[in-house]
Amino acid sequence: MPAERTAAIAAPKAPPGPFASFFRDFSENRAALVGLILLGLLVFIAIFANLLAPYSPIEQFREFTRIPPAWVEGGNRAFLLGTDEIGRDMLSRLIFGARLSLFIGLSVVVASMAVGIVLGLVAAFAPGWPSIVIMRAMDVILSVPSLLLAIVIVAIIGPSLTNTIVAITVVYLPYYVRLVRASALQEKTRDYVTAARVGGAGTLRIMFRTVLPNCMAPIIVQAALTISNAILEAAALGFLGLGAQPPSPEWGAMLASAREFLQSAPWIVTEPGLAILITVLAINLVGDGLRDALDPKMRRS
Amino acid sequence: MKIFARLLAATMLVAGVASAAEAKTLVYCSEGSPENFNPQINTTGTSFDAARPVFNQLVEFEPGTTKIRPGLAESWDVSPDGMEVTFHLRKGVKFHSSKTFKPTRDFNADDVLFSFNRMWKEDSPYHKVSGGAYDYFNDMEMPTLLKSIDKLDDYTVKFTLNKPNAPFLANLGMDFATILSAEYADAMLKAGKPEMVDQQPIGTGPFTFVAYQKDAVIRYKAFPDFWGPKAKIDDLVFAITKDPTARWAKLQKNECQVMIGPNPADLDAMGKDPNVNLLSQPGLNIAYLAFNTTKPPFDKKEVRQALTMAIDQPTIIKDVYGGAGQAAKNFIPPTIWSYNDKIEPYKYDPAKAKEMLKAAGVQEGFESDLWWMPVTRPYNPNAKRVAELMQADFEKVGIKTHLVSFEWGEYRKRMQAGEHQMGQLGWSGDNGDPDNFFFLLGCEAARPGGQNIAKWCNKDFEDLFQKAKTTFDLAERAKMYEQMQVIAHEEAPVFNIAHSVVYEPIRKNVTNYKVSPLGRREFAEVGLE
Repeated sequence: MPAERTAAIAAPKAPPGPFASFFRDFSENRAALVGLILLGLLVFIAIFANLLAPYSPIEQFREFTRIPPAWVEGGNRAFLLGTDEIGRDMLSRLIFGARLSLFIGLSVVVASMAVGIVLGLVAAFAPGWPSIVIMRAMDVILSVPSLLLAIVIVAIIGPSLTNTIVAITVVYLPYYVRLVRASALQEKTRDYVTAARVGGAGTLRIMFRTVLPNCMAPIIVQAALTISNAILEAAALGFLGLGAQPPSPEWGAMLASAREFLQSAPWIVTEPGLAILITVLAINLVGDGLRDALDPKMRRS
Repeated sequence: MKIFARLLAATMLVAGVASAAEAKTLVYCSEGSPENFNPQINTTGTSFDAARPVFNQLVEFEPGTTKIRPGLAESWDVSPDGMEVTFHLRKGVKFHSSKTFKPTRDFNADDVLFSFNRMWKEDSPYHKVSGGAYDYFNDMEMPTLLKSIDKLDDYTVKFTLNKPNAPFLANLGMDFATILSAEYADAMLKAGKPEMVDQQPIGTGPFTFVAYQKDAVIRYKAFPDFWGPKAKIDDLVFAITKDPTARWAKLQKNECQVMIGPNPADLDAMGKDPNVNLLSQPGLNIAYLAFNTTKPPFDKKEVRQALTMAIDQPTIIKDVYGGAGQAAKNFIPPTIWSYNDKIEPYKYDPAKAKEMLKAAGVQEGFESDLWWMPVTRPYNPNAKRVAELMQADFEKVGIKTHLVSFEWGEYRKRMQAGEHQMGQLGWSGDNGDPDNFFFLLGCEAARPGGQNIAKWCNKDFEDLFQKAKTTFDLAERAKMYEQMQVIAHEEAPVFNIAHSVVYEPIRKNVTNYKVSPLGRREFAEVGLE
């Protein structure tokens, strides 16, 4: 009994775990919380698109072209958000489009983060020519406007979904490389790294096991912000006809193909536009929240 | 942001030009950038439109009709056997001048000889300039048709033919038969910049070329010494605006007064706008899907017939053309004489199509490409949407298609080279003669690089085609063309999608603008109030 009592008394006094404290900081930011809920919803929709979408995104209901959303006059309850210019259900297309957009965003982030971490650590730990080659290459990439570079890459390797991902990954690579290198250089000189080295750890182990975990916070924030930019850029490429090819329900491509109906059937244009807006907004809010919560300088004690 | 800034700058430039309208300026919202300014080496309406204000031909089409009237030739005689055509040239016709060139003489027979020899004779110093491909000249079979072109005196030129050719005069009114300045060409050759002839055009037309900025603007000004009636406007501007919705927005704001290729979806609003006249004319055109008959399984006519049956044509007409098109069953539009109305179109029947494909040995899940052009054409407002509809149709009969497109110039080049399996293209007639449509299915144009993109060469069809060319009796010719339509229907080298009705919205203050049945934009006689 005494032991139990001690525990009960001790518990509130114990410092909260790192995750709990992070979440406390994070949820103090109302906007970030809203963003997180929206994002969660989007992820849920994307994962269960097959179950949630009423129809296939490429099925054409040729009797029902350009039906307005259900609540507008002339709408049809079978098509909640209306149909597009060749009779495909907008709701289904938007739902599958969410999957496509989040997939692009996530793939770009994972790919550019993985490659960026490796290159960044190499640049930090091999100060000779490898560092020079890597960093100057990144400078070259950075010197070209990002969308332009993506367009050039896609134009060379041909328009498709995979190539879009490759192109945007290349565009975002330098940010990770520079970020990782900068924080790794800083961490490298710390005492704990020296201690590890004295303890006999090899360079690889120091790079990935000792230094990397301590550089993760800014990388995670950068990742969150990249997702939204990647989605925007994929939409821009899709709009220009260089992204996912028809008939895939990519939001940017949907916007582009419906431009001519801007005046006569505005929902075909506004709905994918809103979808992009909401997604990007949600991700940015979460990203801001992450930054506030993870950045020690901004953390309230 | 930079792109936006540039767009803004371009828009302001065009707007600035439009607002300086005290000197009467007509702005035409065109759909794309011309490849160059020499119609001899071009094949697109976009490029022809851009060169037309600057040039003339020996004979020309009366605006708004397909009738021939004298151009640079005042009159002509045809010999009784139809083998010789003698042109009497107009005197006192001045060429334009530019910063680099001042003409020292008037137009004469040398210019005619130079212009035709450039396309015809390999020993012409200009034959290889700017790529040296004269698609129109070759596809109209001019090299085999022409025996000689002789200068009888400075103002008389005689064309001798190898065989009588009924459409010959109408062909000379087409853009490829444009007359360039021989003196200018010599000067540029001496200066070592022969391709300037195709980039900085010097002609005899109602407007002189001023400046061109790719994807932005082309500027012309009226030529005071023009031989015909003087232009009623002072400046002519082509504001290159690729997006049809943007063109319509500009027209509404009076940033341009004439536009090409409206969206079918906007036609309603255009008809209601009090400041806009919506002109229309049944188009002398055809949009089609060509099957590349050199690639299996498209070499089998059963396969081509089955694919034709698999396409839901009424839906394409409804969803892509809106009210602005009629389903096509023949390769020529019904407004052309010799249209064979007895042809029964293939019925939409996916089940039967699937059976036929199976019988022809096409596996379920066969993969093909399906090309769509990246630009609005007068005969096809949205090729991408047509492709998406066809993709779903083909899916139903077990054929997987991926959609392919390239930049417009590249697109045609690759397709003429025969890289595609199935691809869309179309045609706007140039002279109102059935010959001008059927050559697209002829053997001559089926060569690699030729304009027959089905690459289809059928002996019966070709024989009739050649015979009709040398027949002057209209009724007899019509019979042959009718027979050719029966063959083309049976063989199905192309799927005939539609003939569009051409709409051209213009501002109410534009006078004397006529929609050309030949799909041209002509500004020589247009005025502005």
